[in-house]
Amino acid sequence: MLPRMSRTLQSVLLLVAVLAVWEGACRLFSISPFVMPMPSAIAGRFVSLIATGEIWPHFVATLTSILTGFGFGALAGLICGSLIATIPVLDRLVYPYLVALQTVPKIAIAPLFVLWFGYGLASKIVITALLCFFPIMVSVIAGFRSVDMNQLEMMRAFGATRMQILRRLRIPSALVLIFAGLEIASVLAVIGAVVGEFVGAQVGLGYLITSLNFNLDVAGMFAVLVFLAAIGLTLHGLVRFARSRLVFWVRSEADDVLV
Amino acid sequence: MAVETSNPGEVHKRAMIDVRALEKRFATRSGEEVLALAGVNLSVAEGEFLSVVGPSGCGKTTLLRILAGLDTPTGGQAMIDDQLVKGSRDDVGIVFQAATLLPWYTVLENVLLPAGLKGDVSTAATARARDLLKLVDLADFGRKYPFELSGGMQQRVAICRALMRNPKILLMDEPFGALDAMTRETMNVELMRWCSEEKKTVVFITHSIPEAVLLGDRVVVMSPRPGRISRVLDVDIARPRGLKTMALPQFGALCDEIRTVFGADPVRARDL
Repeated sequence: MLPRMSRTLQSVLLLVAVLAVWEGACRLFSISPFVMPMPSAIAGRFVSLIATGEIWPHFVATLTSILTGFGFGALAGLICGSLIATIPVLDRLVYPYLVALQTVPKIAIAPLFVLWFGYGLASKIVITALLCFFPIMVSVIAGFRSVDMNQLEMMRAFGATRMQILRRLRIPSALVLIFAGLEIASVLAVIGAVVGEFVGAQVGLGYLITSLNFNLDVAGMFAVLVFLAAIGLTLHGLVRFARSRLVFWVRSEADDVLV
Repeated sequence: MAVETSNPGEVHKRAMIDVRALEKRFATRSGEEVLALAGVNLSVAEGEFLSVVGPSGCGKTTLLRILAGLDTPTGGQAMIDDQLVKGSRDDVGIVFQAATLLPWYTVLENVLLPAGLKGDVSTAATARARDLLKLVDLADFGRKYPFELSGGMQQRVAICRALMRNPKILLMDEPFGALDAMTRETMNVELMRWCSEEKKTVVFITHSIPEAVLLGDRVVVMSPRPGRISRVLDVDIARPRGLKTMALPQFGALCDEIRTVFGADPVRARDL
């Protein structure tokens, strides 16, 4: 019977089962709601956050930080990666420093960014962009170098110029890995924005979590996590959708995992 | 060893490809020098189908790469149409062992690639590409993508791409080496039809002796260390040839003769 069900139905059933066990365990063992709230309580807070409209300014602020930061990070990663991949001098001079910078845990320097760019959106956007920048830049460089040697020889044999090889071969080849970088960055973008809000903010889902924490509203914190997960999954899904359209010739098993 | 390859039957035809004292040295990673080609003399007449056969390491691919302008010789010279080969030429089409189609382009776009690279996006070019696809029985596949095609079909697209700019010369480097035996035989017979319709000078590299004899007007036999021409044989079997040609006694005799060049017992080396 199980194999005949659709994958989606199986996933939903699993979720329902986990929630039921969770709810049952909380009631059976009388677990304190301050330690682990029941799913029903979380659902109640989820609804009340929407009903009172309390969530929206925070939701909009965090979504803005995520999208803007991801956008800037992706743009900078694409530009830097392309330049480093195509200009050997930059590769030799600049790339070692970029790698050194990458080894600095950016979350640890988040307070510095708040100091420099203030408590507003700017500091969150910068942190998010910086977090997204590296995986994208590295994937762009790796992408441009992943060119198939046989295809390169073929292009040369037909007298292709450097620009033609770049446009018709290197860029399409690079797209495969670039999208892998964008997928990683889409997940990191959510982390970046929330960490920025943890460090210092007056609005945002990260700020809301810390303030609910002060009030010991643990169910409310979980409800906010659901919003964050929704943003993360949607962004990741959009990147995957764009990938399946733009890099249609690559069929990987991973395509079936999350969809 | 240099071998004079002038062919009495072809004297009236001018040489389309002329290779003189060609030599190619490679430095390996360990710093040793490898002589990939030594003293190769070869002349290919206009419209001739020349097979080049030999074991791996005999320099046959190096020879083709030099003719294609992908490698430069370290000695001697390679002339095409009385001009020294310096880089890729419009009048030379090339087919590699792998189809090397670009997966983001449709079949038609892949065939059009050589024209597009020269800035020719005319409707005449598209018409030519469609005619070529029709020639190789892929008329209905123009809008498909390479990953939707079998290996044999992909290689047929690669042949169309090589013919796109209507080159005088077609260079083929073991084009059917990756195909299964049955597809390979069909492709051999078809290739002879396409080439007779398109009237090309062809240099066809292979490591299959029967394939070399079936296709070639002449067969150049190469041997390794150093890569050189050790024998040139005329294939006096009338065209059109087909799969039945391989059952002719002359065919078997020629194959055996080539096998003896490699110092092998004709019977024991039959698999070569």
